[in-house]
Amino acid sequence: MMAYSMKTNWLVQIATAAALLAGTQAHAQQPPPGAGIQREKTVTQLEPGRWTGKRLADGQPDVQGHWSNTIANHNNWTDPQGGVPGDPGRNGPPKTPRSERAPSRVSDPADGEVPFQPWARAVQQDFLKYFHNPIKEEYIEPLARCAPAGVPKSFTWHGYEIRQFPGYVLFLFNSGTRVIHLDGKPHLPENIKLWNADSRGRWEGNTLIVDVTNNNAKARLARTGEFFSENVHIEERYIFNSDGTRYNYVATITDPTVFTRPWTATIPARRFSLQDEPDGWHYEVALANQPPGKEPLIERYERICVENNGPFGNIAVLGAK
Amino acid sequence: MGGLLAASLATAAPKIPRLKSGKPDFSGIWETTSAAEYDLEPHSGRADAPPSAGVIDGKYIPYLPAALEQKKKNFAARGVEDPRLKCWTLGTPRGIYYREPFQIFQRDRDLTLLFQFGHSVRTIHTNGTLHPEVTDNEFYLGDSRGHWEGDTLVVDVTDFNTETWLDRAGNFHGPKLHVVERWQFLDENTLEYQATLEDPDVFSRPWSLTVLLNRHREKDFQLIENYCFTLGYDKFYPVPQQGTTE
Repeated sequence: MMAYSMKTNWLVQIATAAALLAGTQAHAQQPPPGAGIQREKTVTQLEPGRWTGKRLADGQPDVQGHWSNTIANHNNWTDPQGGVPGDPGRNGPPKTPRSERAPSRVSDPADGEVPFQPWARAVQQDFLKYFHNPIKEEYIEPLARCAPAGVPKSFTWHGYEIRQFPGYVLFLFNSGTRVIHLDGKPHLPENIKLWNADSRGRWEGNTLIVDVTNNNAKARLARTGEFFSENVHIEERYIFNSDGTRYNYVATITDPTVFTRPWTATIPARRFSLQDEPDGWHYEVALANQPPGKEPLIERYERICVENNGPFGNIAVLGAK
Repeated sequence: MGGLLAASLATAAPKIPRLKSGKPDFSGIWETTSAAEYDLEPHSGRADAPPSAGVIDGKYIPYLPAALEQKKKNFAARGVEDPRLKCWTLGTPRGIYYREPFQIFQRDRDLTLLFQFGHSVRTIHTNGTLHPEVTDNEFYLGDSRGHWEGDTLVVDVTDFNTETWLDRAGNFHGPKLHVVERWQFLDENTLEYQATLEDPDVFSRPWSLTVLLNRHREKDFQLIENYCFTLGYDKFYPVPQQGTTE
């Protein structure tokens, strides 16, 4: 887990908040003890359609709050609960048959594999081969150095907060921040490349549709090394259910320089709220300090990762200093 | 008579954007034109700073003697030691008068400040919540709790770490820094930003600085994320291209 330069005191507070919540709240959606990051093994199907839930004053569906993916972290793109292949540590290879783990994040093609061109498959395999033994700087995932996780990896890296404003949807990720423009302004000039790319969106019913360009393509999709190039074009559909408890991130990824065909990624997510216990990964929040007698409120603390203070691959990073 | 006076006052008051709640709406992209971030204090022109009469009420920062010595050391080492050079989050108040735009997104419950430099996010809570009871939080941007005094947003900021400076000249603070900000419109496109800083380990008394913030009104102007702290390792991550593995 990534450490933060804000020190660890906030974890203590979260634990305190958790204890407070445990004492005062019903636990409607408690995960089983020890569930850790990996939870659901299936993807809830959500269909594009009408939005019948709450709306904000500007007409946007109200999806503000705290969210996290329901499956697993970014260890493995196509076998999300399978760990990083070649892990020499205690996790080792998965102990369950593949059919008992969550499906690939590649929902199209049906075989669940990223349709890499042969040279690109070799590049991905090369990164994976050295992931646990990063003999060169390039084998350390940029996220481990505090770089933004980028599009789409941010959706599998810790929980995050969505805030909405007239003309904007903001994603406050664990590592990086993303602004979705609904304001009709054009994409940035194509030679500007960004960790979190350039996002222009619109709402259609229960679906936020976002056109994503200008990706600097430096953040791998997962520790398994999947990637695309600066030429990538991503069309995202965030399909929400109307009670505001879940959404599916469905992204069509097109890059003729790397893939043999466009393909689709699906990442299911669910809302975390007061009924959930902060867990230091999906749901990193604290209970607001309020005058007595107020309804409990959840808030997010500053999340800044700028110094390399002990992430994955840190031996190679620190050795380079 | 009273009605006439009220009417003339209403005419004289600046027309400013407001939320539905009636509170001033600071939403927008802002940047100062002042030279405050080079050096808050009055100074002649030098190689790394244009001249400026400074932005401090009383001209100079009232350092305690030991702190003044530290400031002099910082100044001498500013070309190496300034956290800005690593693109670390600039802190409060430095991020506000740094010469790159920041955007304010505002709801009734809070203001979200997104800084282009480093792309860091500060939340100013305006929902009646208090500073955390935990007293050993250490944040780059501090913990910000705001309230309204008429059309002025008053923000109390505590819980700082010591990784930030106040400007490029090595002006600094300690962990006990306490900042009180006052944000108000001068007109619909200009904000006056005042910050009062106290730190009993560093300053002999509280002191204040004032800068103006100007709204960016260029066509299609927008923030462009600037994760400049990644530039040091950028070279390790060329985008793979055909032919990069044998």
